[in-house]
Amino acid sequence: MRAGRRRLSRDERLAYLILLPALGAVFVIVTIPFVLVVIQSISADDGTLVGLRNYSRALSNPLLYDALRATATYSLIVLPIEILFGLGFALLVHRTVRRPGLRAAIYVLAILPLVVPPVAIGVVARLVYAPSYGVLNVILERFGAIHQEINWLGDPNLAMLAVASVDIWQWTPFVYLVLFSGLQTVPRESVEAAQLDGADWWAQFRYIDLAYLRPLFLLIIFFRLADVLRVFDHVFILTGGGPGTTTQLLSLYMYRVEFKYFDSGQAAALAVLVLVSFSILYRLISRALPLERT
Amino acid sequence: MERISRREFVKRTAFAGALLTPLPAILEACSSGTSSSNKTTKLTIAAVQGAEDGPLKKVAPMYQSQTGITMEVVEFPYDQLFEKLVTTFQANGSSYDLCMMDDPWMPKFGTMGALQPLDSNFGFTRDSDIPAIVYDVGTWPPPHGPVPPSEQNKSQHLYGITIVGNVEMFMYRKDLATTAPSSWDDVLANAQKYNKSNFYGYVIRGKATNPASSDSLPILWSFGGDIFDSSWKVMLDSTASIDAITFLTQSLKKYAEPGAENTDAGDRDRLIAIGQAFQSTTWPAEVTGVVEAQGVSQVIGKMAYIPIPKGPGGKGLGMMGNWLLGIPKGSQNGSAAADFIKWLIKTDNMKTYVQNGGIPTRTSLLNDPTLGQANPYFPALAQSLAANPNWRPRTDQWNAVETIYGTAVNQAVAGLKSPKDALTAAAAQIRTTMKQAGYPS
Repeated sequence: MRAGRRRLSRDERLAYLILLPALGAVFVIVTIPFVLVVIQSISADDGTLVGLRNYSRALSNPLLYDALRATATYSLIVLPIEILFGLGFALLVHRTVRRPGLRAAIYVLAILPLVVPPVAIGVVARLVYAPSYGVLNVILERFGAIHQEINWLGDPNLAMLAVASVDIWQWTPFVYLVLFSGLQTVPRESVEAAQLDGADWWAQFRYIDLAYLRPLFLLIIFFRLADVLRVFDHVFILTGGGPGTTTQLLSLYMYRVEFKYFDSGQAAALAVLVLVSFSILYRLISRALPLERT
Repeated sequence: MERISRREFVKRTAFAGALLTPLPAILEACSSGTSSSNKTTKLTIAAVQGAEDGPLKKVAPMYQSQTGITMEVVEFPYDQLFEKLVTTFQANGSSYDLCMMDDPWMPKFGTMGALQPLDSNFGFTRDSDIPAIVYDVGTWPPPHGPVPPSEQNKSQHLYGITIVGNVEMFMYRKDLATTAPSSWDDVLANAQKYNKSNFYGYVIRGKATNPASSDSLPILWSFGGDIFDSSWKVMLDSTASIDAITFLTQSLKKYAEPGAENTDAGDRDRLIAIGQAFQSTTWPAEVTGVVEAQGVSQVIGKMAYIPIPKGPGGKGLGMMGNWLLGIPKGSQNGSAAADFIKWLIKTDNMKTYVQNGGIPTRTSLLNDPTLGQANPYFPALAQSLAANPNWRPRTDQWNAVETIYGTAVNQAVAGLKSPKDALTAAAAQIRTTMKQAGYPS
């Protein structure tokens, strides 16, 4: 008999059997499509294998780098702002709001932006930022803050800020909810002990709260990065990727390669490249922000 | 009762599941087999949501009451309709018996061999009351202009019949200017003359990709520019093309609305309808849907509609945007679908269709004074169709080309690049795209 191998017990076999449908579903829904995408990425339209030609075409297209630049800019605007605002709001509510009813009301208000369809948000945002009839310009003019209307969606820098602001409005509440739930897990005794030792609010935050929030930051960054890769609706409605390609994020670019250019090979190559590079990025982030509390 | 073990229970459940899983598919297969052997009872139309399919939805029940065939109109927004049709055709799906198609989609569907020929299969012939160009646009490979290399040996067939006779036209405020602009120089002069605070001399539909492309192509052509020459050589970076886009994005832009780089058809119509702009290009659906719509527009009766003004060479070229009805190859009800198209384009039925907001292709209806009273753009549309408007290049790569070209025009409108730089870069990208697709670029 070979060492290290033993027969599975009856319960273990039953456990695997019960897991089988779930694993089968994952195999059908995730693994098979992924394998098909990889095959498509090395095939021509007629199915013949073309090696890495699609990857080469994808990487040599200057529009890819425009899209990457736009996505990086978008991420660098939305992620820090959402985390800072979400954290600030979570700390504010955690430390100042004691009435359960008010906390529940804030909780419900925070949920609302998350459940509104992105398309609806895009349409409303267009009414806010549009030239000549946009609400924002009208308000700014009424208060005398501007004398000439601002071209929010036509200026490349402002257009990026406009689309980012929609993301910030929708997703800051998510960061707040996650961090607020994390703050609820901080033991009351630790806080009281720190207060007895004369710790001010910053020291309490830095040495107690932050230790409990660190794994949640990782969770937030994971989720938000994944979301940023999927951002589509409100950008499509607000700017259509313009002016030029300044707000053409990676998702919009990949959509156009697949559904406008109908270049399935290049689109599949892009999908694989994005998946691999972001898996590496996630790995680096998880190393930098260990899940264990220190 | 026999007690069974946990293991036995799981085994039996898995076995029963395996037996039952294909049951719905088997039942579906049985039912579809039955219906295909019977007379057609239902026709499903994939249609574009909006002004283009509204009249179709109104007249379809008439056909239903006359024939007993249930008409189901499944609507999709513009972009999704194209994607849905392509994926359905790729799978040779039988979900739709008829499909509405924008005319630039014909090359893609023709190249894919996705449609049933209407002439050889169902006996469609040309009607002298309908302009030849309307049949030409539904014919594949194209009867004139460059033919894609992969299609040159295919025989020509009619695959689509126009049911929305869209041609891009020009509109201006006739209550302010007494004479119509005959050239783009006149357009510029009027833009300068009537431009004032909060009233724009010209409206540019400059949003990236399709809007900027549609808005600028008539100007590009009227100036003698083009995207391709007759042998698919890219000429977007030619002097004539650059002059045309410079005219639009610099000369006319001086008098255009703020945020032109983000303006789409809805924004343009709003500016015209609230009396804040003098002139622009337009499509028939914009006229009926907004500019001349009761309760919506403040300029009803104040607008004039004319064919696209002439460029420096003395030619003004409108752009076709016909919507056609075709029969997918996968449809099991081809004959019934063809009967419906024949019914729809009969003069009397088309008249009812027009009375319900439809845009006709029959010259007799376009020149009908009674219909013209309710549709002031009909004479301009008749003239535009008679003048053989241009169609967008007949290549299955058009969507890619339009995206590149429309982005370049948008960059020029936004001032991100000079027209020359934007078009030169776009021309290089289009050459690469076309070369990869097997065109001699």
